[in-house]
Amino acid sequence: MKLIETKHLIAWAAFLLVLALMPMFVSNGTLRIFIFANFLAVFAISWDVLSGRTGYISFGHPFLIGIGVYATAIMSKRFGVPVEYSIPLAVLVTMLGSVLVFLPALRVKGSYFALVTLAFMELAYQLVQVIRPDLTGGTRGIFGIKTITRGAENGYYMSMCLMFGIAFVSWLVMRTQLGTALSALGMQEESVEGSGKSTTKLKLAAFLMSAFIAGLGGAFYAHYVGAIAPRTLFDINFLFTIIVAVLIGGSGTIIGPIIGAFFLTFLLEFLRPYLPGAGRYFIYGGIALLLYMYQPKGIYSIVDKLIKRWRGGAV
Amino acid sequence: MTQIIIQGMLLSGLYALIAIGFTLIFSVGRVLNLAYGAYLMIGGYVYFYISQQLGLPKGVGLVMAAGVGCLAGLLKYRFIAKPLKGNHVAIEISTLILAIVIQSGIILMFGESTKILHSLVPGIIRLEGVTAPWSNILATGLSWVLIVAVFLFVRHTHTGRAMLAVSQDPKGAAICGINAEWINMVTWGISGLLGGVAGVFFASYTQLSPFMWVGPLIVTVAIVVVGGIGSILGTLVVAHIIGFLEIIVVSYIAPELRGIFTMLLIILFLIFRPRGLFGREELT
Repeated sequence: MKLIETKHLIAWAAFLLVLALMPMFVSNGTLRIFIFANFLAVFAISWDVLSGRTGYISFGHPFLIGIGVYATAIMSKRFGVPVEYSIPLAVLVTMLGSVLVFLPALRVKGSYFALVTLAFMELAYQLVQVIRPDLTGGTRGIFGIKTITRGAENGYYMSMCLMFGIAFVSWLVMRTQLGTALSALGMQEESVEGSGKSTTKLKLAAFLMSAFIAGLGGAFYAHYVGAIAPRTLFDINFLFTIIVAVLIGGSGTIIGPIIGAFFLTFLLEFLRPYLPGAGRYFIYGGIALLLYMYQPKGIYSIVDKLIKRWRGGAV
Repeated sequence: MTQIIIQGMLLSGLYALIAIGFTLIFSVGRVLNLAYGAYLMIGGYVYFYISQQLGLPKGVGLVMAAGVGCLAGLLKYRFIAKPLKGNHVAIEISTLILAIVIQSGIILMFGESTKILHSLVPGIIRLEGVTAPWSNILATGLSWVLIVAVFLFVRHTHTGRAMLAVSQDPKGAAICGINAEWINMVTWGISGLLGGVAGVFFASYTQLSPFMWVGPLIVTVAIVVVGGIGSILGTLVVAHIIGFLEIIVVSYIAPELRGIFTMLLIILFLIFRPRGLFGREELT
């Protein structure tokens, strides 16, 4: 089987070229929106690898991302660890942290799993403020974390590379037997077990991979914005944005979460002149809810159908 | 010591009050309604609008809060729970989205700032050197009355028993001539009503803010998880465990650690004893 069709390869190359030339045409403000969309896409992919595929809905994803963010921030700010080491270490710490969330997944499913992860997120929020505030910065968070990029243009390239790198690797992994098995896990766990695969190992793989992406995204994010605060991180609104990005884009795919993240970030910016405050989430959430209720497979499936129809094939 | 007992009783009463509606929908409707916290918020804001912005009597505010809460429950059933029938994960996610929509709707209408709610019954009382607001004492009493009422309703009325039947075996219930649709609607309506009423008391205990729904949601989740699905009296017991635990932590350890044991309880119970203290044996 060919890895990718030549036709698609050319399309992708052209698309990437457009993205690479983007900073020449648009303002720095627009580039910053792209950067946030990229980070959101990374977090959305991370959520999708775990929840979109295996059906174990994680309501505690900010917990994983937060571990990565705090680990690298504390290492580089408080102990002066160079970024080259602190980011990989932060990813490792996040993966260790995911094992903690993995334990309940062995016992409970469905709503109960979602609740346990939600509890993890709130627990992290409260603990971070009281345990060693000299390290975590308590309620105020950490400021002045070393940034790795200067200016919007660099940030744009960095985040684009990060996002497409992660997307590409995830895409490769999901094409393997592992990816198929994970999707099967989401459909019917008993059958996967019946086919002789260890569901425990599969779940662990999904958790570790999701945590790897979350930690990497979180660590880079910390070194991009340079300041973190517990309330913006371990927040149900942040969780909402991640989940909605995946669902709107289309869960169980790689491209879906990316579409969703870009759609939502740009929608939010588009609404800014009309509704400056948090009121924007009213429309944003409303669209998300309607789309989710009536097209649970997201924009990806709508586009997919349109393309098929356009080609004249039977839908 | 007396202080801890009084404060513990009052907080537990409040927690029991906010948990009843959630228990009902979770144990009977079998649905994890993440927008439950938003009922509380709706109740609080409706009361605020009627009694403080329009200046109508407080009783009207309370009744309206209950009414709007009930309406919210019914609408949520009609437009979310019913179309997504049986798909629990989808209901959870859509109620989460809905909660955020309600939160931002409230920000649009009332602004982001916190508001102080004048409580239903003003004034405080001194008991053994402890000051306790009358409103909290009322909430505690009300919570007991409501829990007993809900318990009796579920056990001894036709509609209540039909609710149990639908939760245990929808097909069997249908064969017995129970209209599951109607029963579900009643359940969602009552749950919303209880949430609206509880919201008035909760908001006068804390403050009115568009972000006030997350905290009580987590507390109710803890109460229901630890108490066990399908156990109404378990709700009452665990509300007291959690309420007292919080007060003890605040008085003896550190106020910042207040919620930590609640989270730990959720996590530990879901890992080691998912059926809770009094729940039926089941894992879904």
